[in-house]
Amino acid sequence: MFARILRHEWRALRADSTLWVIALVFAAGIGFGVWNGVRWMAFQRDAIAAARGEEAERYARLQTQIDGLVRGAAKTSPFADPRSPGNLGGRLGPRYAVLPPGPLAATAIGQSDLLPAYFRVSTDARENIVSGTEIENPHRLLAGRFDLAFVLIYIYPLLILAVTYNMLSAEKEEGTLALALSQPVSLAALVTGKVTLRAAVLGGLVIACACLAVAVSGTDLARGGAGTRLLLWACAVAAYGAFWFSLAVFVASRGRGSATNATLLACLWLLFVVLLPSSLNMTITTMFPVPSRVELVQATRVASDEANEAGSALLARYYEDHPDLAGGDVAQAVSDANVVRLAVADEVERRVRPVVRRYEDQLARQQDSVTWLRFLSPAMLMQDALNDLAGAGTARHRHFLAQVDAFHDRWRRHFTPLIVRKAQITDLSALPLFAYDEEPLSAVAGRVALTLAGLAFPAALLGAAGLRRLRRFPVVG
Amino acid sequence: MISRIARKELVEMLRDGRFRVLAAAVLVASLASFAAGWRQYTDLAAQHATAQEATRAQWLAQPRKNPHAAAHYGVYAFKPKSALAMVDTGIDPYVGVATWLEAHKQNEFKYRPAQDRTALQRFGDMTGAEVLQVILPLFIVLMAFSAFAGEREQGTLRQLLSLGVRPTHLALGKAAGVGAALALVLVPATALGVAAFTLSSQGSLMADDPSRGVALGLVHLVYYAATIAFALAVSARARSSRLALVVLLSLWFANSLVAPRVAADLAAWLHPTPSAVEFQKALEQELGDEAAMQERLARRSAELLRRYKVDSVDALPIAWSGISLQEGEEHGNEVFDKHFGRLFDQYARQNDVVQRGGVVAPMLALRAASMGLAGTDFAHHRDFVAAAEAYRRNMQRVLNGDITANQRKGQVYLAGRELWEKVPPLDYEAPSLGWALQAVRPSLLIMLAWCVAAAAWLVRATRRLAAD
Repeated sequence: MFARILRHEWRALRADSTLWVIALVFAAGIGFGVWNGVRWMAFQRDAIAAARGEEAERYARLQTQIDGLVRGAAKTSPFADPRSPGNLGGRLGPRYAVLPPGPLAATAIGQSDLLPAYFRVSTDARENIVSGTEIENPHRLLAGRFDLAFVLIYIYPLLILAVTYNMLSAEKEEGTLALALSQPVSLAALVTGKVTLRAAVLGGLVIACACLAVAVSGTDLARGGAGTRLLLWACAVAAYGAFWFSLAVFVASRGRGSATNATLLACLWLLFVVLLPSSLNMTITTMFPVPSRVELVQATRVASDEANEAGSALLARYYEDHPDLAGGDVAQAVSDANVVRLAVADEVERRVRPVVRRYEDQLARQQDSVTWLRFLSPAMLMQDALNDLAGAGTARHRHFLAQVDAFHDRWRRHFTPLIVRKAQITDLSALPLFAYDEEPLSAVAGRVALTLAGLAFPAALLGAAGLRRLRRFPVVG
Repeated sequence: MISRIARKELVEMLRDGRFRVLAAAVLVASLASFAAGWRQYTDLAAQHATAQEATRAQWLAQPRKNPHAAAHYGVYAFKPKSALAMVDTGIDPYVGVATWLEAHKQNEFKYRPAQDRTALQRFGDMTGAEVLQVILPLFIVLMAFSAFAGEREQGTLRQLLSLGVRPTHLALGKAAGVGAALALVLVPATALGVAAFTLSSQGSLMADDPSRGVALGLVHLVYYAATIAFALAVSARARSSRLALVVLLSLWFANSLVAPRVAADLAAWLHPTPSAVEFQKALEQELGDEAAMQERLARRSAELLRRYKVDSVDALPIAWSGISLQEGEEHGNEVFDKHFGRLFDQYARQNDVVQRGGVVAPMLALRAASMGLAGTDFAHHRDFVAAAEAYRRNMQRVLNGDITANQRKGQVYLAGRELWEKVPPLDYEAPSLGWALQAVRPSLLIMLAWCVAAAAWLVRATRRLAAD
């Protein structure tokens, strides 16, 4: 009987030309979204290749220069000497710490256009390194991207509502519902059949296009857990769709007319997808304001001033202890200055650390508040899940930043003893290298599973409540 | 006749429970968004002003040091907030708030507020502009979609037409009715906005803020007029009110939510920008051009040797170190102008494409005009960047000039507060209303065109109104 319902529904849907128009427009939207995602992924890859290329070129040049200096064939000023660990670690030889795009990056651009994917790590202060940005027109950042995630979060529910708002009420208004129910079939089974078919058609369309997107973007499905991510992605689409379908079933079960259903569903879409996220954003920004970056800049400057004053005293004291070095050759003065700069940088970081820590605590508190509030809207949950699976979310970036910090630490600890000992560097291959350690798939899957539960649970509740109300559905009149 | 029709429309709407709920919701939303905007503006404006004073104090409090050391110490420039950012925050979350003005480098603006927020930020902020540009047109659509089509379904349209009402009067009357309903919501919201504006404790950076505010209001009124006319025209032409509602809602969705993204993506495809790595590489390559620098120095030294009639730079009565520092700065400035100019021009081209996209989706024109008038678009940001950069260059000129005049070979030259005070404080005056209007002229023209076209369509549609 169920199969018969499905077959009948398929024939009815197929005959409806408006549905084909809608499906076509939807497919075009998905295509455009996928195209944008693929292009963005290519841009990211190009930028990373350019960074790596620049580093390799620079290192080759520096090594040649070092070889020349060691042989005695060339000369250079002490400020530009690549053998000096202070110069090499600071200005001349910084290395890139790179965050490669995730395997499903073509499906969601997320935060990856705003949060930079590479940093130039040197012995400079941490704040100066991680405050770099990628180049993007701020108007474009404001408008957002038309990627597959946008189509799924905003347009997919509209489509679901467009095909389900009158699936029951139209039959009732036309009078065919009474006829159908005179057959040995329950209303719940009928509704379930209708929903199943529509879900299969729409969901199938979306997932097929997404697989095409991943294939076109040149991702190797065997590596990096891409297969698992794709599976989770399909589950996310299914869960999000399930929410809207169950919402439609619940609204249909109230027994009102098509027009009323349409209006109510449109209002609910507006509430969940447009109003709630932006209102919550405004609420959070007002209730948990992030402490000012401006104040952080000023505090860092003040701390730096104080440490530098201490540094001048340090240098003066150093020359008092080593009167033979005072007024000596420039090379010596430069390497001395590097030692003092090191001490000053340490002092600055020590003074600034409590300010930065307080700032980051407040920031973390604000971001954590979102973690709970996002369960209020399926759109926010879906955005989270899609960003996470594409590797374009804030969690992965924080994971990356932690590794950048560790690398920065390692870089400094490599160069500090060399600077203090005034050693010379002749072999560039011994310098620390950054290798990004991808988040364990279990961590990502855990986060996504929680989000999916947040979608599936209300879906199940609404669906069950709707199916129960159908028992008292006024089939006629 | 027009006022009679308008009054009837208004009374009908007021009696409709729908209207009361919607109006209340819109009022609450606008209240909340203006309040949040006001609070954010006052906080940020105060912070920026304090920080700007503090950085100036730090500059003046420098101990005696070589002027070039002071040039490396530099000053911070904090982007001032425009008061109308309370209503339309524009690109403020996506541009940096501070930049370091130091020697030899034009630094980028750092610390974009959006980077400190979560992905939720990308859903948009419920600012006053969001309420005015996205929510209120939806409100208009919900009020107007059944104006003609609903009457047709009820049967009263036939009676109305039989009275021999002039179609233009009918159109104007209905439009006035919807407009009056809109005014009931808009007037309190505007009053609130104006109150918040005048109450804001921090003096805003723009002298003609009130006139900008008036222009902003007028621009929105033109948009609402166009929306009302369009919605009524669709209602007149649609076969049923349900069809009218579907069409209008789809168009609202496409216009408000889809068009900005599609336009931005298309604009970036037409006028792409480089990645940060490529930009930095090209910049550093030209900056490190030793040959060009040597040629420049050789030219200058030849000119000076000629002028002072000496044989070597050491014999000059002025310090060559200061001259060569300034030449280095000039070389750098040329390179920065070329590269940053090219990048910002590309942004401007992208924004132009989006503005002109208003021909298809009027929301694009409205947003461009709104941000331009509120002072939160890229053109205004670029103006501040240029002002900060001009200040930095002047600072370098003053310091290097002092070295040139006072440094003696073999001596350690230290300067003090008298020199620091010769560099004036950063006094930025935002562009005038005229400048802003000129920048968004295409948007204004496009919106007026839309308004006229929608009105014309409405009149035509009412003329061809069929009773069933």
